[in-house]
Amino acid sequence: MAARRALKAVLVDLSGTLHIEDAAVPGAQEALKRLRSASVVVRFVTNTTKESKRDLLERLKKLEFDISEDEIFTSLTAARSLVEQKQVRPMLLVDDRALPDFNGIQTSDPNAVVVGLAPERFHYQILNQAFRLLLDGAPLIAIHKARYYKRKDGLALGPGPFVTALEYATDIKATVVGKPEKTFFLEALRGTGCEPEETVMIGDDCRDDVGGAQNVGMLGILVKTAPGAPFARLTGSLRGSRTCFFQSPPGAGKASIEQEMKKKLIHLLT
Amino acid sequence: MAAWGQRLAGVRGVLLDISGVLFDGAEGSGVPIAGSVEAVARLKRSRLKVRFCTNESQKSLGDLVELLQQLGFDISEGEVTAPAPATCLILKERGLRPYLLISDGIRSEFDQIDTSNPNCVVIADAGESFSYQNMNKAFQVLMELENPVLISLGKGRYYKETSGLMLDVGAYVKALEYACGIEAEVVGKPSPEYFKSALQEMGLEAHQAIMIGDDIVGDVGGAQRCGMRALQVRTGKFRPSDEHHPEVKADGYVDNLAEAVDLLLQHADK
Repeated sequence: MAARRALKAVLVDLSGTLHIEDAAVPGAQEALKRLRSASVVVRFVTNTTKESKRDLLERLKKLEFDISEDEIFTSLTAARSLVEQKQVRPMLLVDDRALPDFNGIQTSDPNAVVVGLAPERFHYQILNQAFRLLLDGAPLIAIHKARYYKRKDGLALGPGPFVTALEYATDIKATVVGKPEKTFFLEALRGTGCEPEETVMIGDDCRDDVGGAQNVGMLGILVKTAPGAPFARLTGSLRGSRTCFFQSPPGAGKASIEQEMKKKLIHLLT
Repeated sequence: MAAWGQRLAGVRGVLLDISGVLFDGAEGSGVPIAGSVEAVARLKRSRLKVRFCTNESQKSLGDLVELLQQLGFDISEGEVTAPAPATCLILKERGLRPYLLISDGIRSEFDQIDTSNPNCVVIADAGESFSYQNMNKAFQVLMELENPVLISLGKGRYYKETSGLMLDVGAYVKALEYACGIEAEVVGKPSPEYFKSALQEMGLEAHQAIMIGDDIVGDVGGAQRCGMRALQVRTGKFRPSDEHHPEVKADGYVDNLAEAVDLLLQHADK
C-alpha cells in the first residue's frame, strides 16, 4: 500500500449519496457544510447520464446543496471529450435531457455509438441499428457500465447490461469513460493540484465508487443509503479488498452519510 | 487439410441446422437457400440418418415446420430437436414457474406451464418484445430470488434475415447475466446435453455424426466439443472472418448445404 498522505481532496458521488432522485439524503447538506469547513478540495463526480451538468446543478441547488458548476465532473463530460478526440459522429443512445452536453457535435450519418442510460431508446430496433454500425467498425463508447440503479419503484437496469449485450454480439470491447475507470478519477482531480493518495472518494456503489477509487490509489468510503440493495451480491466481488464499509444498523440509514463522513474524516485529519 | 474421404469416413448421420442452412428468415416468412430443398431430399433418400437441430425460439415448432413445408422442405415435427419443448421438460422436472421473456409466436409452447408467482426466468429470441420494460421485469424477478435461475433458449449472438444481421437472444442473456451477476443455463446449441439428446434420437454415437451449420461457435464449436465432426456453410450468418476464427476450426467449409450433401454422398460411410 502506498504511503498515505494528508487528506487534501474529497470526491463525492451524487445520486444515491447526496440525493435519491428528487429528495436529498437526510443530513447530507449539513455534512457537506462540515466538509467545506475542513479546508479540503471537494469535487462532485457522477455517473448520472440522464441529466446535463446544468440540470444537475439546478436540482442540487433546489435541494439546497452549496455546489458550483465547475465542481461537477460527469461521465457525459468525459464522453464528449472522447468523441471530440476521436473525431467521430456518434449515434447517441442517451436520454433527451443529456443532449445539451453534446451541443455542436455532428450526429448525422453516424460512425460511432455512445451508450448512456436511455430506457426509452433501449428497444430492439434501435439496439439492432447500433449493432449493425458496430459490425461495420464503429467504436462503442459507454458512458458507464453500471449494472442497475435505484428508482422510486425499485431497482432498474442501468446501461451496463445493454453495453454488455452489444459487446457480446459484436465481439468488441467498449471504451468506458465513467466510473470506475481510472481515467475518470484522474480527470476529476485535474486542476486541483491533488494526488490520488491525498484523496478520498465517498459513494454508494461498491464497485464503481469504492473499487474504482481504490484502483487509482484513493481511499474509498461506502455509504449505505440504499437499504433495499442486495448487498451480499454487490460486495461479494470485493471481498478482501481495502474497502471501508460502514454498515449502518437497520433503520439508521438516514443519517448515514453524515456519520460516516465525520468518522472517516476525523480519523484521516487527526 | 486431409482429403474429404478421410474427413468424412464413418459418418452415418447428419445433423442439420435450419436457419441460415435451409432458409433465410424474413419478417414472418422466409426464402429457401438455393439448392437446399433438393439437398435435404437427396439426404433423405440416402443411407444417412438425418435430423434437424435448431435454436429457433421466436416461432413454435409447429409454425416453423409448417413454414419449411410451405417452402418445399420434406420435414416433420418429430425430426426436429427444438429448444422450447426441451425447456418445458426441464421446467416440469424441477417445479419451476417461469417469467417468460419470449415472443408471442412461441407462447403456445408454454400453454401447460404454470407461470404464477415466478421463481425463474425463461428467455428466448423475443425480437420486438425485448423492450426495456420487459427486460427490467425479468431483471426484477431474478433479483428477488434467493437462487436466481435464468434459462436461455440458445445463446446465439446474431442471425441473418433478408434485411441484414439481427441481434439474437444471446446478447440479451449476457445483459441479464451482467446485471444480476449470474450465469444462464442454456437449452440449445452449443450445450452438450442438447447435442446429445439429438444424437440419442438418431441412435448414433457422436463420432458417427456430422453437424452442418452456419454458426462457427454455436454449431461447429459446440458439435466438435461433443465429439462430432462439423462443417460450416458459407450461407446465413457466415462471415469470411469465421474461417480464421481464433478458437474454432471446422472440419470443412462448404459454399452451401448442396455442396455439403454432394461431398457426404460421395465420401461418407465408406
